[in-house]
Amino acid sequence: MRVSLKTWFLSIVLSLLLASPALAQKFDWQQAKGTQLRVLLNKHPWQGAIEPHLKEFETLTGIKLVAEVYPEDQFRAKVLVELTSGASSIDVFMSMPAQEGLKYVRAGWLQPVDEFLKNPALTAPDYNWSDFLEKTREAMVIEGKIVGLPIQVENTSLMYRKDVFQKYNVKVPTTLDELEAAAKALNGKAMTDDGQPGYGIVARGKRAAATSQFAAYLHAMGSTWLAPNREPIFNNEDGIKALELYGRLLRLYGPPGSENNHWYEASSIFSQGKAAMYTDANSLFPVIEDAQKSKVVGKVGYALFPRGPKGQYGSTVAAWGLAMPKTSQNQKAAWLFMQWATAKEQVLAVQSEKGVLGARESVWKDPKGMAKVPADLRESLTVGSKVGTPLWNPPVVAVAECRDAIGAAIVVAIQGGEVRAAANKAATDVRRIMLETEKK
Amino acid sequence: MPVFTLPSIVAVALLMAFPVVYTLYMSVHSWYASSLTSPQFIGLGNFRRAFLEDDRFRNALWLTVYFTAFATALQLVLGVSLALVLNRPFRGKGLVRSVFLLPMVATPVAIALVWMMMYNPTLGVMNYLVGLVGLGPYRWVSNAAIVVPALAVVDTWEWTPLITLITLAGLATLPIEPYESALIDGASVTQMFWRITLPLLRPTIIVALLFRAIDCLKTFDIIYVMTQGGPGFASETLNVYTFQVGLFYFHIGYASSLLVILFALVLGVSLLLIKVRRAAW
Repeated sequence: MRVSLKTWFLSIVLSLLLASPALAQKFDWQQAKGTQLRVLLNKHPWQGAIEPHLKEFETLTGIKLVAEVYPEDQFRAKVLVELTSGASSIDVFMSMPAQEGLKYVRAGWLQPVDEFLKNPALTAPDYNWSDFLEKTREAMVIEGKIVGLPIQVENTSLMYRKDVFQKYNVKVPTTLDELEAAAKALNGKAMTDDGQPGYGIVARGKRAAATSQFAAYLHAMGSTWLAPNREPIFNNEDGIKALELYGRLLRLYGPPGSENNHWYEASSIFSQGKAAMYTDANSLFPVIEDAQKSKVVGKVGYALFPRGPKGQYGSTVAAWGLAMPKTSQNQKAAWLFMQWATAKEQVLAVQSEKGVLGARESVWKDPKGMAKVPADLRESLTVGSKVGTPLWNPPVVAVAECRDAIGAAIVVAIQGGEVRAAANKAATDVRRIMLETEKK
Repeated sequence: MPVFTLPSIVAVALLMAFPVVYTLYMSVHSWYASSLTSPQFIGLGNFRRAFLEDDRFRNALWLTVYFTAFATALQLVLGVSLALVLNRPFRGKGLVRSVFLLPMVATPVAIALVWMMMYNPTLGVMNYLVGLVGLGPYRWVSNAAIVVPALAVVDTWEWTPLITLITLAGLATLPIEPYESALIDGASVTQMFWRITLPLLRPTIIVALLFRAIDCLKTFDIIYVMTQGGPGFASETLNVYTFQVGLFYFHIGYASSLLVILFALVLGVSLLLIKVRRAAW
């Protein structure tokens, strides 16, 4: 087929036009000019990193931002109380859908954003939703609807002392069996600066707090919280194996008193050089790499959470997002803010300036995006956020209450009690809590 | 001049009477703060659930009583003994008395944080101290079996001086005549203590006990800071449990009924002690 010169010419001009930033700029960022937005933020590294850039948004869009920042407990309570009142003036707020999403969606408080995302008049052509790591997108979906845009991601992963593994010639665990073997082999070996012995492994053991990290063991072992019919199944054979393993690791190869350790205590023990391995959220890396407080700076490797006996991945994918209440009177402007804050440019900025772990794959491929983050952490995070599970919490309405019930079984496992009985009791409790809080 | 008291009556009504009445009202309702449905009247359903179905509540009730009994008994023995020692004349008595009062004025949260460090199983000083006499090491507040006594020790450290103080005041008011006649009758020091001092001090000691018992029943700060009710639920007293139910699970109705139960418990213990104080020995 002959193609005429005119057609050639036309197509070249067209493709140039399409590729040029000129067209991208045609997206109307000014469409909600003059609006004022009330944004509620949790005190968090992302909030600290984005705040200096908020003026750029105001200049770009002509929208005025009124941002309020609260510490986490007050923040959650404030959002809940305002939304309960039904007369909230919040336009955008930070939210972890796995924590409060189901409750908020069932209460009818969250505005799903699927329609906004599909609408070319409201979403810039270069936004590229599929650039977000697969499971972080999934983490934003509640009952089939997208309820937020991811701003930060973290996985339960394996943090280990590279120097100790090398010194004692132990292979970095890639399976749960190897994890236990390594914990056993390294427990009691000299590992602190002054040659004192340390523990094989450290992790959270405090009731509710431990639940979100135990989630990785549970899923790697091949179990999960609920069956598709929403019956608790974390007490099945695989679940009990996971509980027994978690308990055994901390009881035999962990520090005494693990039952009262939250991430703060656990990360302190690890960063003081007193443990060879630590399974927790990889977003804790700034604590571990803090030259002021940590004694293991530069000595720590960040690996994918070990896989289970059947090769299952355990990495949990926990993501903070930005969400919009149904009651917002400025949804278009709110959407523009959510979109801007999660656009590649801003994700790159907060990640390269403050080491906030972003959820965009393209940013992880950008040399600037990797500058503040150890290379193996980038590797394990991008893989983990594609193959892991967003279910770091049981997918229920009453998350806090169910975490306490399940956490009680974890504590029993650490103490060396009757794991099966404790797991069954936890399942009974979760069933009762769900019945009470999820009846329509 | 009743008109001048009006502002204070209004203030009391708003700040105290209303919350109490509202708590009573909520305690017979089922309501989650996060639900769109308004409170549903369920009569005594919350109370039935607490006593018949909720093993976390029964555990909390028992731990509250256990903690209170352990802490008050310890404080009573130590406090009264200290008062008897401090009641004797010696040099620097004023200074020693003041120093003994210091724990009472310290902030409970700060005290709890310091004790957390002292109880730390690997780094804490407590294991070193008990090690000197050949005991331990213990896991203290991480060990479900001893967490309640370990917490009671912290409470004791803080509040023994209160009992000492009250007892000292009581000692100062004792009449001298019974002792003179006892001496003439040839009573020993021990006899005088058990037969004269203690019976005369009884009303004072019971007042001190009353204060401490009420306070222990509703202890929250040191427990919440040190263990948050853990490990597991091994130190979850009624107040800590109610806090979880109300402010983390947002089950406001049930939390209100738990508060009513705690209130009844405190009231019951108070009435009992007041009765004992009035009763003949």
